[in-house]
Amino acid sequence: MSSSILEAEDIIFSYPDGTKALDGLSISIEEGKKVAILGANGAGKSTLFLHFNGILQPDQGSIKFKGETVKYNKRALKELRKNVGIVFQDPDMQLFSSSVFQEISFGPLNLGLSEEEVRARVNEAMKVTGITELKDRPTHLLSYGQKKRISIADILAMKPQAIIFDEPTVWLDPRHSNEIIDFFDEINNQGITVILSTHDVNLAYSWADYVYIFAEGKIIGEGVPSDIFQDKELLMNADLTQPWIVEVYNELVQKNILASDFPIPDSKRELFSLL
Amino acid sequence: MLDIDQYAYSNNLRSIHPVEKTIFALLTMIICLAANSIITSLAIILLMAGVVIFGAKIPRQFFIKLILIPISFLLISTITIVISISKEASSFLYYLSLWGWKIGIQMENIIFAINLFLKSLGTVSCLYFLALTTPMIEIISVLRKLKVPRIFIELMSLIYRFIFVLLDTANLIRTSQLSRLGYSNFKRSCQSLSKLISNLFIRAYYRAKGLLTTLLARGYEGEIRVLEPEYEFSKKNLAIIFLVEVSLILITVYIGGDQFVIINT
Repeated sequence: MSSSILEAEDIIFSYPDGTKALDGLSISIEEGKKVAILGANGAGKSTLFLHFNGILQPDQGSIKFKGETVKYNKRALKELRKNVGIVFQDPDMQLFSSSVFQEISFGPLNLGLSEEEVRARVNEAMKVTGITELKDRPTHLLSYGQKKRISIADILAMKPQAIIFDEPTVWLDPRHSNEIIDFFDEINNQGITVILSTHDVNLAYSWADYVYIFAEGKIIGEGVPSDIFQDKELLMNADLTQPWIVEVYNELVQKNILASDFPIPDSKRELFSLL
Repeated sequence: MLDIDQYAYSNNLRSIHPVEKTIFALLTMIICLAANSIITSLAIILLMAGVVIFGAKIPRQFFIKLILIPISFLLISTITIVISISKEASSFLYYLSLWGWKIGIQMENIIFAINLFLKSLGTVSCLYFLALTTPMIEIISVLRKLKVPRIFIELMSLIYRFIFVLLDTANLIRTSQLSRLGYSNFKRSCQSLSKLISNLFIRAYYRAKGLLTTLLARGYEGEIRVLEPEYEFSKKNLAIIFLVEVSLILITVYIGGDQFVIINT
């Protein structure tokens, strides 16, 4: 039986300026899955992520980690932040140090680990993200993609059970985008739950196990990609479009080139092999 | 300033232990200040220029350009030392008379001014050596080892990091203003610049808020703790530093007139 790693129950949250960012939102994310959260700008995705990490506290409702309601005392928050990591959208916002090594060592040191353990983790995180050769370079002389990888190593070094990536492919070129997606699969194979937010319906369609559609502070739809992306009205309500694979498939079915009981291909490769 | 920063990361002496480089710069600086000798000062200037140009492989023109910056200041200040006013004409090499007062130059003052000029330049070249070969991050980590209070260390590293973030932001704003003719005449330039500065303040504020969020997400509890990459002390380098410093002292004692400020005053 699968169990949920992160849950939100009817949470309502308003920012101090009065904007209601989350409006009775409920979500339950299964452990070990690849989850994509889709929604327009300002739909409340980032706000939800900050709740999962205990940075923001809901006005109403509750957040659960592995079935236990999150408490907001120092020790409980430390435990939560150890287990749920967030890679923020803008690495320049996240990187506080000019030294790559210092930067990555910050998180694990906050977990109270020994110096040797932290060194080992920093070296491992740099190796996994392929930035070992950047160790002696200052962060301000690095490219956007390199900084992005450092911001990921930041979180990996804390060895969380779930990692949330806020718009990870924005501003990355296609090659680095693909690399980062392969990398998500890699860490997911190690049992880490990977949650990402994106506008990229094509990415969500081919990559995710499960998809949530966000609009105006609520989840308006959820399901496996092959179901959810057939619901045109739902997508329109969330300011999204259909993935091109689904569009091509529908067109083929409509023109009787494909039988309508034929399963939808879930990747470009599968679609091409049909033709 | 940004060039210095880049050279600090890419020079040929980058891999040497930052503590060794700091010791070298500071000891040489102390000898330069303590020795009351033109020859020692000259030796130190040449030594530092040699280490920077041939050791660290910093382009010669760049180093000369850097040295020229303090020279203009130093010239202005030493001129005021060279010129003196007196009623006695006998001590002057050359003077002008004005209403019975003699304004001119004295031999004693010339030597004093040259000494001071070279001593300042020697000290500055020690600092240049440190700045050109040792990245700011490593200088900060040396300060951390010296047990400088944590708050200064944290502030220094955050300021250093965000100088570049803010510079980037300022550049972006400027480019977007330029592309809309924001600097087409003097009046517009003033307006655009003032908007740029005020915008930068607001962005800096949001940056700080955002940074706090991202730090909290990684378990920040009011203290920025970090680890440094490990460096190995090199016995060879320490021996070279020791030999160089001893020879500078010997130069002062045997050739430079055996004058130390500390001993003589």
